[in-house]
Amino acid sequence: MSQRTERRGIHVDQSDLLCKKGCGYYGNAAWQGLCSKCWREEYQRVRQKQIQDDWALAEKLQREEEAAYASSHGTQTQPHSQASAPQQQPGHASLGPFSKFEEKKTNEKTRKVTTVKKFFSPSSRTASKKENQEGKTPSPSTSRRASFDTDQVSRDFVDFLKNLQKPGRDIHKQCRAFIVNMSSKKDLSADELSECVQDFYQGMADRLMSHFKGSSEPVEQVMDQVEKYIMTRLYKSVFCPETTDDEKKDLATQNRIRALHWVTIQMLCVSFDEEIPEVSENVVKAITDIIEMDSKRVPRDKLGCITRCSKHIFSAIRITKNEPASADDFLPALIYIVLKANPPRLQSNIQYITRFCNPSRLMTGEDGYYFTNLCCAAAFIEKLDAQSLNLSPEEFERYMSGQASPRFGGSEGDWSGGGPAGGAGAANPALAQLNHNLELLSSLGSRQEAVAEAARGLQADLLSWTQSVEREVHGILEKYPLEVLSCTVSAIDANNMDNDNLPPPLTPQVFAG
Amino acid sequence: MGESLPDVPGGDQERGAAFRRPVRTLRVKMVLLGGSGVGKSSLALRFGKDEFRSTSPTVGCAYLTRVVHLSEVTLRFEIWDTAGQEKYHSVTPLYYRGAHAALLVYDISSRESFIRAQLWLKELEKQSVPGSTLTWLVGNKGDLDQDRQVSAQEGKKLAKDRSLFFTETSALSGDQVNELMLDVAHRVYEHVGEEQGGLTEWKETLPEEMYHRDTSNPLSSCCKVGP
Repeated sequence: MSQRTERRGIHVDQSDLLCKKGCGYYGNAAWQGLCSKCWREEYQRVRQKQIQDDWALAEKLQREEEAAYASSHGTQTQPHSQASAPQQQPGHASLGPFSKFEEKKTNEKTRKVTTVKKFFSPSSRTASKKENQEGKTPSPSTSRRASFDTDQVSRDFVDFLKNLQKPGRDIHKQCRAFIVNMSSKKDLSADELSECVQDFYQGMADRLMSHFKGSSEPVEQVMDQVEKYIMTRLYKSVFCPETTDDEKKDLATQNRIRALHWVTIQMLCVSFDEEIPEVSENVVKAITDIIEMDSKRVPRDKLGCITRCSKHIFSAIRITKNEPASADDFLPALIYIVLKANPPRLQSNIQYITRFCNPSRLMTGEDGYYFTNLCCAAAFIEKLDAQSLNLSPEEFERYMSGQASPRFGGSEGDWSGGGPAGGAGAANPALAQLNHNLELLSSLGSRQEAVAEAARGLQADLLSWTQSVEREVHGILEKYPLEVLSCTVSAIDANNMDNDNLPPPLTPQVFAG
Repeated sequence: MGESLPDVPGGDQERGAAFRRPVRTLRVKMVLLGGSGVGKSSLALRFGKDEFRSTSPTVGCAYLTRVVHLSEVTLRFEIWDTAGQEKYHSVTPLYYRGAHAALLVYDISSRESFIRAQLWLKELEKQSVPGSTLTWLVGNKGDLDQDRQVSAQEGKKLAKDRSLFFTETSALSGDQVNELMLDVAHRVYEHVGEEQGGLTEWKETLPEEMYHRDTSNPLSSCCKVGP
């Protein structure tokens, strides 16, 4: 019995090791039980099917999109898409061993760039020019990722517009025409590009306004979607374009903020108490949000980041001061956050938002308010001088050149006191600290020496002690020489002279009876 | 304290009318200017106090909204507070771009703040398109009458010279604050009105609605990256 189970434990049927195709070679679990040759064949087949499916899906999407906007078949979109869906099912089902997740992964990996391009363009005829240029970018993975986002956005856009019936079709047509139009205008200056986009917004908004008979709610909704769609597509060509000096400004600002690394909360009179964990948490969140702004593509999403950042700042001030923050508190705090965060491409982002966001959103509304504050902060940092930090020009120069730093100032009163003495006072504590440490070190050294000396003394004492003990022992030994008395070994009773006095040994007595 | 003030004539009727039939809501941008410590923020808090819905009621008072009902229209005021410290003076023009109304606030108990207000005024005149922004000169801290350094006559004279509107308020007691608000509302509506397209309509758009629309996308499930 036990023998059987043992065998079962190690027993592997010969057929389990062989290729599942039955070609006679050994298979491998990593290849789903196939041998390398059969696996390659199988893989090719699945891949081929995958590519075909991708084409089918791309075509289906395209058909759907076209159907949605073909003037006569507007309402037939739904049944059409439903009919085309089951067609696809057998293809997916025959993939057999691949799980849904693996399917997606292989899908991603194996898809040819051309397929991707085809897949992502709303219409291969109109957008091919732009897509071709995207395809040339050195990193295929990032461009693929980017076009994936773009695709998602355009699909959302199509879905959104479907609810609008006929005007939706017109809007889509116009947006597409506009994007194509824009891609041919790459040589225009940024301001002209901005004008084009703003004119387009304005024209679109006017039309929508007349369509919705003056009620602005749906207009704003549609305009948001239009902005999202257009700007996601145009982002690459209009963000920080080569025709402007945005990049130079970015670098200048970045260096400026770096040079101002020494600015403290106290200099800006910010009411943050970063000792409170909640406050420092909010500060960190605000910094994260403002940095995140660069990763968004749609102006409105960028504004969202600024607003979130501002809300965190307000919370931090509120926790510190225990009263609602006013603009007097907020602007310095925002400046501090920008200095701490050094947000990537700050100027480019500000310019981009200014140029391509719906202007009504920048002039009014909460987002507009916070964006204005960010612009103020950026402008202030550019112009920032000694006076605005309550420093003397000399101090400011010293800090900027890195000769001194207020960071290690023991007392905060030193630098706000003004005058070169204050600056020296700011530098001295560090020196004093250094001297103090040196003194400590030297005293430690002397103490160590004393310890070593004492140790040596102890060692000498120990040595002399053993010698003295030895000497004493020798003295005693000399005084009392060892005398070995020779004695004869005898029986125990041999030297017992009084043997006779001993009583006779007891003898057993027998009692009669 | 402010609650004991006499009601603005007609205010209640107008409010009642607003509930009975749908009235269009227009958005108005109002900027508060003035040195630090003149009570801009307190004034802003007063303005924002009895509104129905505030964007962030407790967190800050730098950006506040206030709804004012007029007989034929509802105005939704967006009140932008500005940093009053002198060092930020050079960047403030950014705030009053596109503002419909500006309140230039000074402290009646501080001559310095009055002088500063005149500097602001110069800046404002330099930057803004004449006639696009209606400006009020507001002497705040009316409750500190015993420490008054700037007389009402002086304020009135300055306002007259520069063709501004003038009033004295007390953000502490709430005196004249609502009157000022209504005055601003009436004048802005008359002045900028809808004819020139100066005011855009405002409607609350619910972000959730958009969110649901996105998730209901039938195709979104088959083309996501990763799990």
